[in-house]
Amino acid sequence: MEFSVPSALALRGITKAFPGVLANSDVTLSVGEGEVRALLGENGAGKSTLVKILYGLYQPDSGSIEVDGRTVSIRSPRDAMTLGIGMIHQHFTLVPVHTVWENIVLGLAPADGRPLSRDAAAAEIDALGKKYGLEVDPFARIDQLSVGMQQKVEILKALYRRARILVLDEPTAVLTPGEAENLFSFLREFRSSGNTVLFITHKLAEVFAVADSVTVLRGGRNAGDFGVRDASESDLVTCMVGRELVLTKGKPAGSTGNVVLDVRALSILGDRGNRVVDTLSLSVREGEILGIAGVSGNGQEELADVLCGLRIPESGEILLDGRPVRPGIPEAAFHAGTGYIPADRHREGLVLDMTVEENLILKNLSAYSRFGFLRMKKIRENAERLIKQFGIKTPSPAAKVKGLSGGNQQKIVAAREIEAGSRLLVAVQPTRGLDLGAADHVHRTLLDERDRGKAVFLVSTELSEVLKLSDRIAVIFRGRILGEFKRSEATVEKIGMLLAGGMGDAA
Amino acid sequence: MILSGLFFRAIQMCTPLLLGSLGEVLVERTGVMNMAIEGIFLLGAWAGFTGAYLSGSLLIGFVCAMLTGVLTGALYGWITVYLKQHQIVTGVALNILAAGLGIYLYRVLFGVPLLPLTVESLKPFAVPVLSDLPFIGPVLFRQNVLTYIAFLAMPAGWWLLFRTRTGLILRSTGANPEAVDAAGINVERVQFGAVLVSSALNGLAGAFYSIGYLGLFSNDMIGGRGWIAFALCFLGNWNPLGALLGALIFGIADAAAITLQTSGFSLVPNEFLIALPYILTIVATVLRTQFNVPASLGTPYIKESK
Amino acid sequence: MSAPGTKKTASGTIRTLVGERDNSLWTALFPLWSVLLGLAAGGLLMLLLDHNPLKIYGDLVSYAFRDIYNIADIFAKATPLILTGLAFAFAFRASLFNIGAQGQFYLGAVAAAACALAFPQLPSIVLLPLCALAAAVAGSLWGGFAGFCKARFNANEFLVSMMSTYVAVAVLDFLVRGPLREAKGEYPQTDVLAESAWIPSVIPGTRFHWGFFLALAVALIAWIILWKTTLGFRIRAVGRNRRAARFAGMNEQRIFLAVFLISGAFAGLAGFMEVNGVQRMVVQGFNPLLGSEGIGIAILGNAHPVGVVLSALLFGALKVGGILVTQTSTIPSSIIAILEGFVMLFVVLSYWLQHRIAAARARRRASEGGDSR
Repeated sequence: MEFSVPSALALRGITKAFPGVLANSDVTLSVGEGEVRALLGENGAGKSTLVKILYGLYQPDSGSIEVDGRTVSIRSPRDAMTLGIGMIHQHFTLVPVHTVWENIVLGLAPADGRPLSRDAAAAEIDALGKKYGLEVDPFARIDQLSVGMQQKVEILKALYRRARILVLDEPTAVLTPGEAENLFSFLREFRSSGNTVLFITHKLAEVFAVADSVTVLRGGRNAGDFGVRDASESDLVTCMVGRELVLTKGKPAGSTGNVVLDVRALSILGDRGNRVVDTLSLSVREGEILGIAGVSGNGQEELADVLCGLRIPESGEILLDGRPVRPGIPEAAFHAGTGYIPADRHREGLVLDMTVEENLILKNLSAYSRFGFLRMKKIRENAERLIKQFGIKTPSPAAKVKGLSGGNQQKIVAAREIEAGSRLLVAVQPTRGLDLGAADHVHRTLLDERDRGKAVFLVSTELSEVLKLSDRIAVIFRGRILGEFKRSEATVEKIGMLLAGGMGDAA
Repeated sequence: MILSGLFFRAIQMCTPLLLGSLGEVLVERTGVMNMAIEGIFLLGAWAGFTGAYLSGSLLIGFVCAMLTGVLTGALYGWITVYLKQHQIVTGVALNILAAGLGIYLYRVLFGVPLLPLTVESLKPFAVPVLSDLPFIGPVLFRQNVLTYIAFLAMPAGWWLLFRTRTGLILRSTGANPEAVDAAGINVERVQFGAVLVSSALNGLAGAFYSIGYLGLFSNDMIGGRGWIAFALCFLGNWNPLGALLGALIFGIADAAAITLQTSGFSLVPNEFLIALPYILTIVATVLRTQFNVPASLGTPYIKESK
Repeated sequence: MSAPGTKKTASGTIRTLVGERDNSLWTALFPLWSVLLGLAAGGLLMLLLDHNPLKIYGDLVSYAFRDIYNIADIFAKATPLILTGLAFAFAFRASLFNIGAQGQFYLGAVAAAACALAFPQLPSIVLLPLCALAAAVAGSLWGGFAGFCKARFNANEFLVSMMSTYVAVAVLDFLVRGPLREAKGEYPQTDVLAESAWIPSVIPGTRFHWGFFLALAVALIAWIILWKTTLGFRIRAVGRNRRAARFAGMNEQRIFLAVFLISGAFAGLAGFMEVNGVQRMVVQGFNPLLGSEGIGIAILGNAHPVGVVLSALLFGALKVGGILVTQTSTIPSSIIAILEGFVMLFVVLSYWLQHRIAAARARRRASEGGDSR
């Protein structure tokens, strides 16, 4: 459909294929001046590819781009910047060991080896920050800033280059609800002075919170354009998923049993020697999911590491079924019955170049070997059993894992860890990067395991996921539990307050 | 007298290590290791000698050495930066090739002379006034031009890296190539350019051994010195001034070894003295563990990955 | 975003070397193409010396297969190459770089010779295994040092193993000029070993000795370790994804040490082969390229034991023919290193080409099928 406002930015028939994937197929959309357009779609729908094409990071196989009604060729980000397009990537493109001002002036002409004018840059950054409510210390090092501040630096980088069209790729994934609200008010301010925003998200609520209109991408194609006022949530979901998806509803636990995991006064030092978890205590019972809600970087990842023996705590105790677990030894945690579904399965859970059957025994070699030799037959039997049980789609147990889809890779990790975690499952961001169907499968699996009487320790930065699955919710902030809720008492508002470190009156 | 001779030689022996390690610092700051360094040293030594011998001009010799370095570097850079192939493997291949090529091309041009061909090597240049200072004068200010250049290049390299826009781009490329890409700079071009610059410096460094110092070419004249320059880069924490400090220590070790060998000192076997710089490198590599490694070092930057 | 400054896995960088390969006949022939292109590039250099490369290569082949003596010599030359090739390939499977096979080979050679010289009266059946053991242990310890530095201090194993080669050369020089010098005291070399320390020939009158079959057995052992044991499982896991291996509770330090101990033992055994099988003494600076040739062989053989054996035989033939060619013409012997260098370069380029072909194929499939995920 056409909008009456003149289009500041238009994509026409964009197609882009990657090895094995057709990421975008004939995508057409146009955005007007003074408009915030949401680009909505599941993981893998081709949103990121589309905006990378727009920013000159990828070249489309076919199709054209128009800015202010003129067809343009964007061969590189430099071209995009010249046209006034600024991009806030999902994974920030900042140099962590450099300062804010160095990151902002990086690559600006003249690159002729003249000394950098540090003070002039800093003054301009300060001025821009004041104008748009994005104050940052120009001399701070990026890796010492919070994620929210880093995003401000990214935005300042675009504004410093006089961007009129701002493209944001999943910008709220790393923010607290409060920070996200600040971002939205910046976007409204930015739009009202005649600028254009393209806002990529997979969260419906954000579409309604900030966008004027929305384009839905599905399977790399434009599945529909809507004005926000005309669209209902269910319209958008149907359009996004392409079928009526019946999502698993979280259901409360039946009865909980004995305490399985008991963490007592645990303190953990982070990679930089700072204390990231501070005398923290918690417990999880049989048949219960404890969800840890928190913004990334508040100690929850380190806490999960320690539970799985991957990190040695500074002090404190971990008991499993009442028996202390020797810290810092993955085998000890494993043999005590802890399974671990890591956030980054490619890097932490799988060896992509090894086969399915090999990955399925990665953690439990001793059970599949005799006198140091692998027991090939037993390994194969184990693989065939788990492939069947978990519905892993693979050409053969001897196929390399890297050829499988993300959902099937996740199933391999889940299969192995659920086998291992006879008492406790530690899941960290278990659905990151999965599409709705695969994510739903993971959710169902976690609920099933709970109903079998396991204790589940869930860490997620997606509040909706925590709220959906958990029987109890603990909010972590700077290494401490700020509050704990039963599911029936928990609301987004109460938790949101604590996520930002506010001391709500909830206990 | 012995002491000033030793320090003179130490400063002199630093020269190629400085040039080589400076090049390596610049290129590794962009995330690429120049693993062809040893081979380029050798080809530089060959080209420097050949150019100087045929033209009768040392300057032309040094230019030839740098051009040969650039050429070899272009091949290495093309394979590693643009074709994204493994840096260590590519480097090993080029080093084996260079080891054969140096002596082969020498044979092609000069046949098998009965006595090794020689050119007159770089003459010392006494800096007016300063060279008359006691002790310091003869040690520091009666060196050859290339040595002065190498020592001045180190602070210049530091300034380039840490005080200019170009340096900011170089450092950012190694620390996070995505950031550089997003800033609209062609990452591959930055890396390839850095490979060329470092290779030119390596070629020059190699030529120091043939025409800056001995005045002849032999196939084993580099003998791992390229790798020592390579090691100095990370022993110096990817900082030209750090590499300078390291090179001084190695220069002293090298000079001490040569001085002791020629002085008939027999308390330790000569072989130990010859092995000393290598042992020192191992010790330094082992002791120096906390690094400020460029985050993307050795990982090819692949843009269209999904 | 991921934690600032986190390193990417090293696995991405070795993708091209031991990564997935397309199973078509075309790509199976890639190593062969690399060899042919390498020879062609070397041929261009022969033109500089006014030689017809086709004639030189014709001579090379006919020399290499001229008579039973030369054919047998191919196996003799291939024997140590198999072992230094395995040394590099084995470590490479763990994403480790053992550049120091030359030094481990020298230490093995010295140990085997010292053993044979110390017990000349022992019968072969005792002395030969003893020499082999001494060589393997010496190479293993020398290589293990680099592994230890990597495990204990996280020192760069590439540099340490590289530098330790130069130290090994000095050690060998010192020994053959000092304690192990021949009785005559004329040349920097040891006395000839007692006959009981000679590895018997397979074909009498040739240099083809039974050590070749020991080298084959070692290749088989390397294959078994890598694919049939828990140690090999861990080595491959650590090699391909260090982080996941750590998360699975594997101790990477122990793997580093084990890999270098084993890899060094392979290279050390090459010393036993050369000393007891061919040279029957240790000479200063002998076989100076065995280590780097091993790297070329490992790369050409895709770091797989079978590929290593085949590549070593090819390099062996190249050496036998090449040495005779350089002796009978004005082509200098450095042409052999040049050929090896070119072959390696073309192997590297062929990995790029293979990757391109696979990617293009996948892209075609994607746009034809229209399947987005």
